[in-house]
Order: sequence, then structure tokens, then C-alpha cells
Amino acid sequence: MERFVFFGGKGGVGKTTVSCAYAVQSARDGHRTLVVSTDPAHSVTDVFDQPFDDDATPVEGIENLEAMQIDPETEVTRHLDEIRRDLSEQVSAAMVNEINRQLEMAHDTPGAYESALFDRFIEVMRSAEPYDRVVFDTSPTGSTLRLLGLPELLEGWIDRLMYKRRTSIDLFEKAAIGNNEPRRVMDGDPVLARLQERKEFFEFAGATLREEAAFFFVLNPDELSLNETERAVEAMTESGLSVRGLVANRLTPSPDDDEDGRGARYLRERVATEEKRLRRVREEFETPLVAEIETKTSEVKGDLLVEVARALDIETALDAPESA
Amino acid sequence: MTLADRIESFRRTLEEWLRGLYHGMVTHPAYEKIEKEAEDAEDAFILACFPDAFGIPSPVSYYTAELLPYLENEFEAWERRLWDRESYIERKGQQYHF
Repeated sequence: MERFVFFGGKGGVGKTTVSCAYAVQSARDGHRTLVVSTDPAHSVTDVFDQPFDDDATPVEGIENLEAMQIDPETEVTRHLDEIRRDLSEQVSAAMVNEINRQLEMAHDTPGAYESALFDRFIEVMRSAEPYDRVVFDTSPTGSTLRLLGLPELLEGWIDRLMYKRRTSIDLFEKAAIGNNEPRRVMDGDPVLARLQERKEFFEFAGATLREEAAFFFVLNPDELSLNETERAVEAMTESGLSVRGLVANRLTPSPDDDEDGRGARYLRERVATEEKRLRRVREEFETPLVAEIETKTSEVKGDLLVEVARALDIETALDAPESA
Repeated sequence: MTLADRIESFRRTLEEWLRGLYHGMVTHPAYEKIEKEAEDAEDAFILACFPDAFGIPSPVSYYTAELLPYLENEFEAWERRLWDRESYIERKGQQYHF
């Protein structure tokens, strides 16, 4: 299995539970593991009954396991503040207001959360030296996973911006006659330098996601979840990322054979419908179903987590280095 | 003043005028044209960076916002040009100085 493992899926299907279970399994198998959660609603903090924040902290009672919790809102604010600091250093007071408006607009766009999360993910991957494995529990908006498929698009976009910038600087340099100072100079242009930095960032992201990351989708045995997953898998495949497996969570447990009460009949019926849906997954979906997890009556933590981990048929062994 | 001197000074004046005319009618308009083109290219760059200023969503506006501190002059000039610009023909026709 790759170093970076992502779990995605619709909100409420149990991504956090499954990612934590996998992380626990991986840690128990002796790999130094970090689990990264982005979901403010249900997070590693609830699963391990221990507060986590932006810095990786060891999980109490489990060796080799660390966890961290990313809050997209904080990330967006931090990004905004960083730019504001640059702004006050670079820009005259008269223009600050004008530019500030533009700046706030950019951070209110619907994609800002996803961009912030994406940034943070890539940063974590960049500085993942101390870990053998990093498990990502992606946010329920789903666009995060979509964004992970987009580094090429973003890179191309940045490329076009750089081309436009170069064209205009080049023309300004040509337009400076005699001893006139050109209005813009190509050498040391801070805008081009920043765009170049971004371009390299996306290059790294694209390469790492394609070569060192594995993706899993968590689904529930209902029509909506199935359809959603089918679409998501398609989108991922289109952007060149292969989805390694599907995890079916919240399956209804079947009653004992000798029971025939109202509850038992209800359960039996549900199990039958769910079985039909799972069959559809097995037969029609190209991605293999790697785990089937029964629904639990209480929040999954502690021993229950280990139980879920055992039900996951996802290997934790690390890929041998390619040179070996 | 000898005839030769008069011819000499006439030639000098003529040369100055010719150079002035050449500069005013040929060189300067040409450079002006290049500069206008450069401004247009810069406007296109800024628009591509911040299309949400016009309500067009962009997947990279979160990232291009990082450039804003370094685009003060460009941003100001861009806004000014947007206010001044009347039509495309007007913009392109400026070089003839009617």
C-alpha cells in the first residue's frame, strides 16, 4: 500500500471511523502512522476522546499513532492574514483598501475552503518525513477529493498566467525607448516568482497523488450513496487517480435463523435489500469492495475501533522502495 | 555670414526638423503602440487573475490573491484604464491623436 491513503465519501457514511480504524490497524502493524482529519462535525477528537489540533499529537494508548485536526476556516483565515501582512509591507495606504476588497472576495468564493484544505494536505505530504504512512480523512463536501484530481488543471492555469505576464513585461521592456526605464522588468519580477512557486507546488501535488497515494471510498448500502460513489469514482478515474477500493459501512446485521418476531422480519428484509445493492456494487463497479462493516449500536471508539479495523481487508504493509 | 555658413545652418535646422518629424510621426507612435499593447496584455493578465471581480468564478482566485501585494501599480493602472476606456475602437484609435 502507498504511503498516503485517502478516504472519501458522502457526509455521514463513516469516513472518520474507517480512516481511524485503518490508521489504528496500520499503527498496530508497526508503521509510524499519522491520521489527518478535516471534518469539524465528527473528528478524530471524538473517536480517540482526546483533543487534537493543527499539530500532530501522539494518540494516548496507541503506539506509533499520531493524529491531527485541520480546520478549514482557520486555514482560510491564516492564508488571508499572511497576504494582509505582505500587503501592508508592500502597498501604499491609499491602495490597501482597494486591494483588500479584492482579497476578501477571493476568500469568500465557494472554493476557498477546498483550496485551503488542499494546500494543507499537500503541506502535510511534503513534510511527512517522520511517518511511514499518512491517512487522510477528507472533508464531507466531497470537493476536496475532486480538487485532488485537479493539480494538472491548476498547473495549466498558472502556466497561462505566467505566459500572459511574460508577454506584457516583454512588451513593456521593448516600449522603453532610449534611456527610459521600462515600467516592468522581467528580472526578479515578484509576481512571476510567486507563480513559479505555485506551479512547482502543483507539480509536486500532481506527481505525489498519482504515484504515492491510494484512494478509498466509504459508502452505505443505500441507493443515494451508491450513485454518489459511482459518480465520484468516475470523476477520480477521469483525472487519472485510481480508486483502490470501496468500503461498505453501516450494514444491517442479520437476525438469528430461529427468530421470527417483527424485529427479526424487519432486519431480514433490510439485509436482503442491502445484499441486492452490494451485489450491484460487486458486479457493476470496477472498484473492488474491500470491506463490509456492520452497523454499531454506539459510537465507534476504543475496542470497537479495533473490531472495525479487523473487518477492513486493506493491507497496511508499505510498498517496498522501488530501488530494492 | 558666408553662403557656406548659411547653407550649413539651414541643413542643421532641416536635419533637426526631419529628426523631430520622424520621431513624432514614426518612432514615437510605434513605441506608443507597443506600450499600449503591453498595457492590454497586462489587463488581460489581471483579468485572468481576478475574474471574480466581474462575477466570473475562478478555480485559482484563492492562489492569485497571493499576488495582490505585488500588483499594486498594475491594479491601480488596471482600474484607471477600465474607467477611461470607452470602446475598443477608441482605444485602438488613440495612436492617431485626432
